[in-house]
Amino acid sequence: MKTNDVILQTTTKVVFFIIFLFSIHIFFAGHFAPGGGFVGGLLTTGALLLLLLAFDLKTVQKALPFNFIIVIGIGLLLSLGTAAGSIFFNVPFFTHAFDHFTLPLFGETELHTAMIFDAGVYLVVVGSALTMIQTIGGDA
Amino acid sequence: MAFQLLLNFIIAVVWMFMSSSMTATTFIIGYLIGFLLIFLTRRFFKQRLYTGRLWAALKLTLLFFKELTLSNISVLLLVIRPKLNIQPRIFAMLTELETDWEVTLLSSLITLTPGTIVVHVSDDQRTLYIHAIDAEDAEEAIESIKNTFEKAIREVSRT
Repeated sequence: MKTNDVILQTTTKVVFFIIFLFSIHIFFAGHFAPGGGFVGGLLTTGALLLLLLAFDLKTVQKALPFNFIIVIGIGLLLSLGTAAGSIFFNVPFFTHAFDHFTLPLFGETELHTAMIFDAGVYLVVVGSALTMIQTIGGDA
Repeated sequence: MAFQLLLNFIIAVVWMFMSSSMTATTFIIGYLIGFLLIFLTRRFFKQRLYTGRLWAALKLTLLFFKELTLSNISVLLLVIRPKLNIQPRIFAMLTELETDWEVTLLSSLITLTPGTIVVHVSDDQRTLYIHAIDAEDAEEAIESIKNTFEKAIREVSRT
């Protein structure tokens, strides 16, 4: 007995983008305001989980053909690379660098290498959470 | 609708490039000029002018707020009644709306106005099953409310 999920699916198509946008906002806000890589990653996972609930596993895997184990690997490499990058400048391991740049379109922006580390954390969280969910949910 | 809006935006951006000033004021002037051009050439489009749809959407929003206020008051009157002589029931309502988007919007509007909840949508999306809290004498009234919502949504989606 397949029920008609029209309301759930149509609402998901709108709400998914709002959650995803909010997760990106939280990810970038992490330096001076509450937020960061971990929370952003979990929110992204929440958005994808909503897709998995509204549609089925096969549809989402066809739409997002990522192997999430590889995503974990990329995230760990990013974090480790950021930490190891300080070796080349004769400073202790994990020393971060930051400076103020004047970017086009953004104006005066502070760029910090902790951002890249955070991106690694983000990818690890998204990858591991979705690997768990897909492994438990799918009967592969 | 979407094509005309996009065309209007493109005209505004071209106007910004022509006057070589990238400010919001120039964009607004270009947008108004673009709207004037689209209004003049409205016979060449297959669909009606997009402002009609925006106006219909605005009217739907206002209608929704009006219904929300009125039905909240009526549910409040039900709640403070000393004797609870209400007649809850589930009835089917045939709808003529077709696309997923319209059916979702209608169901959300029905659910958000208190006293009625959509409990199920049939597989062919032709029938909504609605639970009403007090449908003894209000069934015709509710049907008329649905007709106002449905008419407003049809007005928005009319090409």
